[in-house]
Formats: sequence, structure tokens, C-alpha cells
Amino acid sequence: MQIDVHNLSFSYGHRTVIDSLSLSLSSGDYLVIRGKNGTGKSTFIKCLLGMNPVKNGMIFYDHQDINYFKEWTCLGYVSQKFEDFNYEFPITVNEFLSVSSLRKTSQSNRLKALDQMGILELLNQNINNLSGGELQRTFIARSMLNDPKLLILDEPTASIDKLSTEYFFKAVNQLNLQGVTIILVTHNESLGHLNYSHVLTMFSDGTNTFQTRDRCDLSEVDF
Amino acid sequence: MVLSFFTDLFQQDFMLRALLAGLILGVLAPVIGSIVVIRRLSFIADTLGHFSLVGISVSLFLSTLGISIFFERPLYLGILFSVVGGLLVELFRRSYKNYKEISMVIVISIGAALSAIFFSLSKKTGSLYNYLFGSILTITNYYVILILITAVIVFALFIIFGKQIVAVSFEESNAKMLGVNVGLFQFLFMIMLSIVVSVLLESVGVLLISSMMIIPVAAAMKVGWSYKSTTIIAIVFSELSVFFGLWMAYSFTIPSGAAIVSINVILLMAISFIKKIRSRKLVKKEPITNESAE
Repeated sequence: MQIDVHNLSFSYGHRTVIDSLSLSLSSGDYLVIRGKNGTGKSTFIKCLLGMNPVKNGMIFYDHQDINYFKEWTCLGYVSQKFEDFNYEFPITVNEFLSVSSLRKTSQSNRLKALDQMGILELLNQNINNLSGGELQRTFIARSMLNDPKLLILDEPTASIDKLSTEYFFKAVNQLNLQGVTIILVTHNESLGHLNYSHVLTMFSDGTNTFQTRDRCDLSEVDF
Repeated sequence: MVLSFFTDLFQQDFMLRALLAGLILGVLAPVIGSIVVIRRLSFIADTLGHFSLVGISVSLFLSTLGISIFFERPLYLGILFSVVGGLLVELFRRSYKNYKEISMVIVISIGAALSAIFFSLSKKTGSLYNYLFGSILTITNYYVILILITAVIVFALFIIFGKQIVAVSFEESNAKMLGVNVGLFQFLFMIMLSIVVSVLLESVGVLLISSMMIIPVAAAMKVGWSYKSTTIIAIVFSELSVFFGLWMAYSFTIPSGAAIVSINVILLMAISFIKKIRSRKLVKKEPITNESAE
């Protein structure tokens, strides 16, 4: 998915969090967003997800103004925490994936998504019996279920172990190779394990830098 | 006592009507109740019940003014006011996003105050007892048909929009991303809930509506392993409560709503107790590993 951001600014009251942010991504690009707490990373993600209304500046998805964009199912989103989700009522992973996609997803689609995350055996498990890491991998599998054109990942591996992180980035690289545009927010200073094409660094005064990088061969990627 | 209950069940029309209405409500209440529990709005049935009571008290008050159009069927205004109550809850919820319960307390207070005022003005406070505690044994054929129509509409909506309703209930933000019109589905569910609450009001009474909707679901959550199994178990518990509740009401001449809810509570306590015993046994049986020994 092609993404164009033109002169985007966003303020909370008098405090400017994003100041004149512009960037352009093509299908299959991989953007890493870094910055300390309070530099506007999550605010920018919320703008991209349509949760923060874009008033100053413009965002286009495949040349379509975000304010008129309707195909939200093309986007996959994984956040650090899913505070909005009700974890206490019994629901199996299979049922959860089934109601998470309004398109009729086949069982094989769901199995494939779980297999990509290495949690195939959790299919019929009750979600409230899963560990934090298993739960996060289930949410990641869900984001892949709709065959997203753009995958937005807001520190998705912050609460999971090394093995799950490895599964996760392998799956993300695989999707990226298939042409899915990736936007990843990270606090991690080390980006050695990521095969990104662009990096956006955000600063606390609202300013930012956007750089392009030569991508390495995937075989060199080490977790 | 048991034999005469079964004999009367099939010989007395009022018993058959009560059983039929109870069995339909026994499915309807937990199906709606499970969504209410997922949305963490367990208090809402009480809230809407109180607002429905306003409609009934207004019907009675209007009849004292000579407007008797709703006197025979006070439930119509009950349903209308229940829907208004539901909309007020949604309205207040937007002002107190992180304190959902505040909106319900505000609406329940308005409902209780208004119904007390109109019952008092109508000078028909004698009927208040029936509306507070319900009387499923005195319901008419008309009411049974009304319950049946409500059930058909609710199940049809669930068949068509079930996936969206469940998606919005479990996680609003993801449903939004999937392109679901969250506001529309919340509104649709609130209308469904308001109608079901009003229909329940006559049989179990305003004070026991919540129990009929929530307690079977609360018990089923302790043993269910999936959304589907939890809902089915809740329906089974609910139907058992209706049947044995009617038997209790008939045998000991006690209010039917209270009897049904009492069985619900007994089931909940029994399930909790059995689960506790079983989990204790499992802990005891678990072998001592090297790690735990250390």
C-alpha cells in the first residue's frame, strides 16, 4: 500500500506533538519509527489508524485522502497492550479469530495465521488461559488474518519472550517480502535484526527526521 | 406435590402459559445477558427495568386523566421508556467514558424517582408489587405471543448481525478497524435489550430482571471453555431455573420470579462450590517436581 503524509501537524491544546511531518512509502516498504516517550509516535499511529482526526496536513492511502478512506480492513494493527479487549469471558482462539474478521475466513486461513506465529496448538484454547506472550502472538496472528496491505505494529514484542519475538519478526519479514507495507514503532535502540527500508526519528519538540536506507539481504538477518 | 405439579402443568392453562413463557425467556435472557456481561454492563438490565417501570406508571397515571389507551397494555409505554432509558445510558456513557457505571446510576435514579412519582399520582400503588417482583403465573395468551415475537426478532437479528455484535462487544476498537459501524450496533443492541427487559418485567419483576439475565451467565462462565459453550450452558441453567422455579412457586405459593431467581442463585453457588473442590483436588494430585521441591 502506498502511503503519503504531507505536512502533518498535531497538537494537544497548545502542545505541538507532531510538527510538519512528511513522508512517502511505497508498497513493500518497511518503516521503523523511533523516539523516546512523549515524542508523538503513538499520536502519529493514531492519525494513521483514523483515531486522531487529521486537520493540519494530509494523509493519503493509495492516493485516497484518509478522511474519505473506507477500506480499513486492508490495515492490520498490533499494539503493545489490548486494554480494550475483554479477556475474562470464555472465548477460544478459533472463535476469537472468527469474529475478528468480518469476511468469511476459512478454518485453513486461521490455521495458517496461527502456524505462522508458532501457536497452532492453541486453536481451541480458551483465551483467558493463555500467557502474555501467547496472547500477543494470537493478536499478531489476527492482524495477519485479513491479508493486510499495511501492517502497523506499535511495540508489538515489548511483552513477549525472545522465541516469540523471533517468530514474529520472521513472519513480518515474510509478509513484507510479499509486498505488505510495514510500519513498526520501537523503543529498541538496536535495529540490527530488522530489514527496514526507512526510519523516522521523532523528537520531543515535535520535529522529526525521515531517512531511507539500503536494505540488506534477508538471509543476513539475525535475531 | 410433584405429581400434582405435573398434572396441573398440562391441565391448567395458566400453568402451561407460564411454562411456555418461562422457557422462551429462559433462552432469550442468557443470550442477551452474555453480551451484556461481555460489555461489562451487568447493571444495565436493572437500569432499563427502572425506566420501563416509568412507562408503566405513566400509563396508569394517564388512565386517571381519562387517557386509557395504554391502561390495558402498559407494556407498550414500558418498552418505549426502556428504549429512552437505554439511549440516555449511551448518552451519559459518552460523557463518562471510563466510568460506565456512573451513567447507569444516573439513569436508574431518574427511573426510580419518576416511577415513584407517577405511581403515587395514579393512586394505583397496589399494582406496584406485581411489577417489582413479577407474576409469571398470571400472564395472558397475549403476553406469551408478545414474548414469542420478541424472541423471533432477537434471534433473527443475532443470526444476521451476531458476528458484528460479538465483535463490538469483545473489542470496540478492533470492530471499528474492521469497518463496523460501532455506534449503530451499540444502538441496535440497546434497542434489543430494552425490549427484552420490558418483556421480562411482567414475568420476573423489575428487581429480578438482572438476576434472570446475568446469574446463569455468571455460573456458565465458571465452567464454559468457549463463547458458544458458555452461552449454551447458561441457557441450560436458565431453563432449569425456570422449570424448578415454577415448581417451587406452585408448591410453596411463593412469587414465581423470586423462586426462579433463587434456583439460579443455588445453581451458581453449587457450581462455584464444585469448582473450588475440584481445583483443590487437582492441586493435591499434582506431582511434586524437582523445581517445586527446591
